[in-house]
Amino acid sequence: MMKHLVMILFIFSFVHSDDFLSTNQDKYVLGEGVQIASLPLYVGGYFSALYQAKEHTKKYQLDDVALLLYGDYEKFSYVSEFEFKELYTYTKTENDAKSEQNTNIHIERLYFDYNYDENYQARVGKYNSPIGFWNMLPVNVLRDTTSNPIVTDIIFPRFTTGVSVTYSSYEKNAFQVDVLAQHNNDLDYNYNNYHMDEHFGLGFTYLLEDLSLKMNLGTFDNLRKNGTSEILYYGLLSFKYEQEKYQLTSELGSQYSQKKATTPYAGYLQGVYNVTQEHAAILRLEVYKDEVTQNKDNIVVFAYTYRPLFPVALKAEYQLHSLEEKNQILFSVSVLF
Amino acid sequence: MKTFILLLFTLILSANHYVAVSNKSIKRISVEKLKALYLKKSFYVHDLKIVPVNLAPKSSARTSFEVNILKMNFSRLKTYWMKQHYLGHRPPISLKSQKSVISFVKKVDGAIGYIEQKNIDDDLAILYEWED
Repeated sequence: MMKHLVMILFIFSFVHSDDFLSTNQDKYVLGEGVQIASLPLYVGGYFSALYQAKEHTKKYQLDDVALLLYGDYEKFSYVSEFEFKELYTYTKTENDAKSEQNTNIHIERLYFDYNYDENYQARVGKYNSPIGFWNMLPVNVLRDTTSNPIVTDIIFPRFTTGVSVTYSSYEKNAFQVDVLAQHNNDLDYNYNNYHMDEHFGLGFTYLLEDLSLKMNLGTFDNLRKNGTSEILYYGLLSFKYEQEKYQLTSELGSQYSQKKATTPYAGYLQGVYNVTQEHAAILRLEVYKDEVTQNKDNIVVFAYTYRPLFPVALKAEYQLHSLEEKNQILFSVSVLF
Repeated sequence: MKTFILLLFTLILSANHYVAVSNKSIKRISVEKLKALYLKKSFYVHDLKIVPVNLAPKSSARTSFEVNILKMNFSRLKTYWMKQHYLGHRPPISLKSQKSVISFVKKVDGAIGYIEQKNIDDDLAILYEWED
């Protein structure tokens, strides 16, 4: 693990040295990455650490350490993201304590875009499935709370390795249509919420000033650990309303197999109130019923985020579950660089 | 009544007029498209790759552009570009003066900028105009 960490630190100290920075850059600004020597290559990254306390368990975790590389040239652009996930975890129960290290580097995203004209864009590689709003910006430092809503983890595959085509129009009635397809192996099976080798989806987004509405439909082949597989179908409706002082977001989805409803419903409604530029209070209501895990839960999430600088987030969160054993407190610190 | 009309007339005269401009390769565009280009949601007008340029932060033209066209304050824009960094997009480059913007726009095909209307000349095409 030390070898990998030293390697990442070396890369960052190297690219942040003055000699290596592009002369076009005024200076490095935290949270904006840095251009390498006038090349179509920008380097950035992020990390997050968290503390989780449940009734009988306490967990300390260095969760994400990630490196971002991206750039564009003419009609082409690319994004890649390599990440240590759950790099170090220390768990303490009433009778036991253990620490774990996971030094595998995962490919979280690796894709190339081709901008055909002002309306069409094609993408190939591994990318965040363009489903709902939360899944587009899933890293701790960018999202509103330390935890993710359950719906973003159980209804659809978070990542797709394949192709997608986007048609967008930014005239009076702005809208976007996404078509995505995977008919091959995942670029990194271990870094996705579903093991799958097939995924087809369709998304429609309508943008009206501060309001965005989105609908997603899709199907994928869920490969189970015992070697069997099952075709699953999903649908998700989302809306987001943003003002300077507050934001409202909601996503509601459902998932079916050919025989039954695997997740009849899962959703959340979240309000964010920006108390000041640095402070935000968040309230999220979640519901879900999952027939696969036989879980049904209602959750209220109270959260507070303090950003002393825009790319630095200190978050506190309390989750109140109808399944009481799941009640928990979360604290996290995350930085984008 | 006379005082009121005089006051109204003074206010109209003192309003600042701004224009989004390019060289002659681009025709007029909608405010929605202009916003999408500056937020890097859209990159092309027809087949032409667009290079949007900003003025220095806190210049009056930039503040007016952010308030009237982008409809986003400093804090919201900062958050927006932080998220775009994760998605592989960079904010538009900033130039120090309106003179630099005019010179850049004339030289670079696809470059667009915004300036005070009084600074426009015959080599520039108006894409969109607004006033404070």
